[in-house]
Amino acid sequence: MRHDRHRGGGVTGVVDLDGVRVEYDDVVAVEELSVAVRDGELFCLLGPSGCGKTTTLRTIAGFETPTAGRVALDGTPVTGRPPYERDCATVFQDWALFPNKSVLENVAFGPKMTGVSASERRERARERLATVEMSEYADTRPSALSGGQKQRVALARALAVDPDVLLLDEPLSNLDKRLRETMQLEIKRIQERLETPMLYVTHDQDEAFTLADRIGIMNDGRLVQVGAPGAVYDDPVNRFVESFLGSTNFVEGRVVESATGGGPEGRVDVEFPALDVVAGVPAARSLSAGDGVIASARPETIDLAPATEGAASTDGGTASRPGSESDGDDGVPDAVRLVGTVSEVVHRGSTVRQYVTVGDGVDLFVERPATRAANVAAGERVRLSWDASDCYYFGPDDRRVRV
Amino acid sequence: MLFAFLLAPIAVVAVTSFSTTGAVAVPPPGLSTRWYEALLASARWQRAALNSLIAAGGTTLLATVAGTAAALAVNGLDDRREAVVLGLTVLPLLVPGVVLGVSLLVFLGEFGLQQTYLAVVAAHSLWATPLAFSVVRASLSRFDPRLREAALDLGASRPRAFVEVVAPNVRSGLFAAALIAFVVSLQEFVMTLFVSGPDTRTVPVLAWNSLRGSVDPIVSVVSTLLVVTVVLVVAVGAVVAGLERFATDT
Repeated sequence: MRHDRHRGGGVTGVVDLDGVRVEYDDVVAVEELSVAVRDGELFCLLGPSGCGKTTTLRTIAGFETPTAGRVALDGTPVTGRPPYERDCATVFQDWALFPNKSVLENVAFGPKMTGVSASERRERARERLATVEMSEYADTRPSALSGGQKQRVALARALAVDPDVLLLDEPLSNLDKRLRETMQLEIKRIQERLETPMLYVTHDQDEAFTLADRIGIMNDGRLVQVGAPGAVYDDPVNRFVESFLGSTNFVEGRVVESATGGGPEGRVDVEFPALDVVAGVPAARSLSAGDGVIASARPETIDLAPATEGAASTDGGTASRPGSESDGDDGVPDAVRLVGTVSEVVHRGSTVRQYVTVGDGVDLFVERPATRAANVAAGERVRLSWDASDCYYFGPDDRRVRV
Repeated sequence: MLFAFLLAPIAVVAVTSFSTTGAVAVPPPGLSTRWYEALLASARWQRAALNSLIAAGGTTLLATVAGTAAALAVNGLDDRREAVVLGLTVLPLLVPGVVLGVSLLVFLGEFGLQQTYLAVVAAHSLWATPLAFSVVRASLSRFDPRLREAALDLGASRPRAFVEVVAPNVRSGLFAAALIAFVVSLQEFVMTLFVSGPDTRTVPVLAWNSLRGSVDPIVSVVSTLLVVTVVLVVAVGAVVAGLERFATDT
């Protein structure tokens, strides 16, 4: 069905946003947003609350009118059109089931509006209810359903209009964690079976990583980065993405010697005053001496070991030569080694987090699967170490420093 | 006590309507239904009752539709604009009925509409619409706007979304608005006195006319019936609204 329609030149997806800007009064909710959702994919818009992701979704659905830019659905420009003239369907955060109609009537509502005959739309509604395993509730009122059941009905109702694209606005945020995880897999299964493209808005990065074929990360009304979940995680473009995708250790530093200052090509020496450490950082020549740098040491890249007797007796942080590894000519090490005191051990179910106070009262944390975590308790002295090249570095403009 | 004192005249009227004599006296010398029979036989009063019903019906329709339309429109405004509109809508309620009546008479006279049903309905709607508006508005403020959006999203046009989703969910509000409009119209007197004519005279106007000459016991009967009608309408409304709430809660 959706392939019959003509496609304009340069159109690449089922949803195309081109330079979209949305303003309310004086507030700019969405700015210069361009993105294309491809046919058949599940695209997650991920961002903190207030970042403009829901506004973006509402603009696509036709509930908001962009002050600039264009919206196209399946190659058809729809920028000024009302919601009922757009071939998309929305699953709302609070589901918005019609309380005055039965479950079956709710699902049959879309076909009814397009003039499908009574018997045919009932049949189609039953089909969709079967898809979401809610057949036995056809004659129930929505008020008698649980949250998870309402969620399924809302999904069936939106699917019943055979939309070009399904828009989901944090549909699972009102459910408890276990149900949420079940429904995530359910939605993914339905998406793969029906091949309906989905644009899924969420603030939950775990949800985005579970569901998405591609992720678009938003902040302050702008799209910051788009890519496959793994690619985005491995290659964050700026500090915001790095902080939003998971908990990490940010450490502030300053370039003490730039690459042109005698160090090897593509390497600068960075001092981390709080840790009392200088490390050789593989970085582009974009940095010069005096520049502020923020390092992100992810909790899974930091090694933690109990501080054994006799070894490294110095208090505070030390950057020692890491043996025979490739050091800079200037003798600055490529690895950071620290000694600190465990301040807290937090069991988070499948993983264990160990917080360690080092140097100038800085708290760092290490996270490991519970089965592989070092057996240390609060108050114990431990060593921390990581390769400087395993960290992500962000320059003065918060952009990622590329090697 | 206070209520008893305030309601006493109604009781007096009700009692005298069953009197055997034509003079208003409490207690009445004897009880009969002769004045009720006289009323039923009176073409004047029948005509007035019909006029009252026509006016009330027309007012109910006009005020409910206009009030609902206004409430829907206000729903989409920001707070400041909404406050301005609210101020404007209650204006007719603050102007004395005599002033409105005279103004309407002059205004409608320009179009040759004085003494028509339209004139009476227009006058009554002037008061009934703001009341209907505020009732519907209160009802709409409890309505989840997402439901309407969901309807539009699934392909319903705006009127269709109202009929299918909005109206059924603010049903009791619409019903209450209609009821209030009906009652307002039924008992309105001052403006009607100015704008109605011999053919469109409503019950309260005829009652006043009858009392101008002499004390007419039929007026007591009519007053009693009017009170009973209003109480009945409100009671039925309350029961229906109550049942509705009961039904939606379960």
